Amino acid sequence: MLPVIQIGPLVLQTPFLILIVGVWLGLTTSERYARHQAYDANHLSDLVLVGLVAGLLGARLSYAALQPAAFSGNLLSILSPTPTMLDPLGGLVVGILAAVIYAQRKQLPLWQTLDALTPGLAVFFIALGVANLASGEAFGATTNLPWGINLWGETRHPAQIYEILGATASAVVVYRLQLAKHWPAGVFFLGWTASTALMRVFLETFRGGSLMWPGGLRPAQIGAWLILAVVLIILGKRWQAVPAPTAPDTATIDPQVGP
Amino acid sequence: MNSYRRKWNWISAGILLLSAVWIGLTAAFAPATTGGDTPFPRVGFSAPDFDLSGLDGSTVKLSNYRGRVVFLNFWASWCPPCRAEMPAIQKLSSVYPPEQVAIFSINATNQDNLEDVQAFIVEYGLTFPVLLDIDGSVNRKYQIQALPSSFFIDAKGEIRKVVIGGPLTEAMMRAEIAQLVEELP
Repeated sequence: MLPVIQIGPLVLQTPFLILIVGVWLGLTTSERYARHQAYDANHLSDLVLVGLVAGLLGARLSYAALQPAAFSGNLLSILSPTPTMLDPLGGLVVGILAAVIYAQRKQLPLWQTLDALTPGLAVFFIALGVANLASGEAFGATTNLPWGINLWGETRHPAQIYEILGATASAVVVYRLQLAKHWPAGVFFLGWTASTALMRVFLETFRGGSLMWPGGLRPAQIGAWLILAVVLIILGKRWQAVPAPTAPDTATIDPQVGP
Repeated sequence: MNSYRRKWNWISAGILLLSAVWIGLTAAFAPATTGGDTPFPRVGFSAPDFDLSGLDGSTVKLSNYRGRVVFLNFWASWCPPCRAEMPAIQKLSSVYPPEQVAIFSINATNQDNLEDVQAFIVEYGLTFPVLLDIDGSVNRKYQIQALPSSFFIDAKGEIRKVVIGGPLTEAMMRAEIAQLVEELP
């Protein structure tokens, strides 16, 4: 674990640095894929930039809105560069909304855009696992298994390493789907989402600090299962657009040229 | 095409059914969360207990403060971000009554010297308890990797937020503490 790097009085938050590298690598991967698919890579970069900036602003404003009394006498604190004053959920909602508005204004095709974003998301999720490994977040439950690691005073599942492996497996699914050229638009994105949701359902079991509902149910698993269900239904519908393989039709042979 | 669709429907149903069974098994057999019982300086764990003296000789035992929100700030007088955030902590100490919120700053005295600490307290007019970690044992117990480091602890003694580095803003500290105060009975 390496949550911070201290250089003199400067404390660098390692997970943030890893996430920034993840965004950069992800965007580069997506742009490369977009160019390969004859999709406008500039639109993709702008879309991600709009989403990120709006997401950051949204996260800060949402944080302030949740505790207005704390900011009432000191409104300028909203502009403070402190990275801890962020509400991730608020940021996610605002970021996605801003990206959707941008995509609609530029009339970007939905499924092609999502497909172009997918390689970047796959890379970013691997970086997220590495960031969790650095910070010690998303740690594992206690275990007696031989590959358990000593963490936070007990032998635990190396849950962050499971996350990295799971995200890598989802990225491999994406890569395999990309090799087959005949899929209709959207299958690339939906395939990765289904695979990631399935991983979440499976790997959440080994987490040591999951939020839990009464009865031991974990909201992360329920949420992932619902996403999986919706995505599988949409995937089924998208696949109907795949042309069925047909045998050579002799009736179409031009009699003038035929044998 | 229909056979394709039927096959896909069966595969989807199978995946969803197996996932649902896995979720059920997890709920039944893997209730493993930390639950705040294990003492460890991490979010979700119980705050490690300590017994420290202040400059005036009075001692503070953390576990005696269960039932109140506790804010711990580790600092040293030579650390610029510690200096920068100390006025905000002083202001914060007058916002909440001591029966609700206890604020302690723990000086890494093994990396500091008492004259500088005393001068610092006078310079910033600190009125909340400044505790001296003379042998560095509490810094080690809290695995302090950088100064300042701050811990927000709820009334049950569970660490709810850790901030490594600074300076913290008054608004941020107030926002975090307000959330924990709202949970008080």
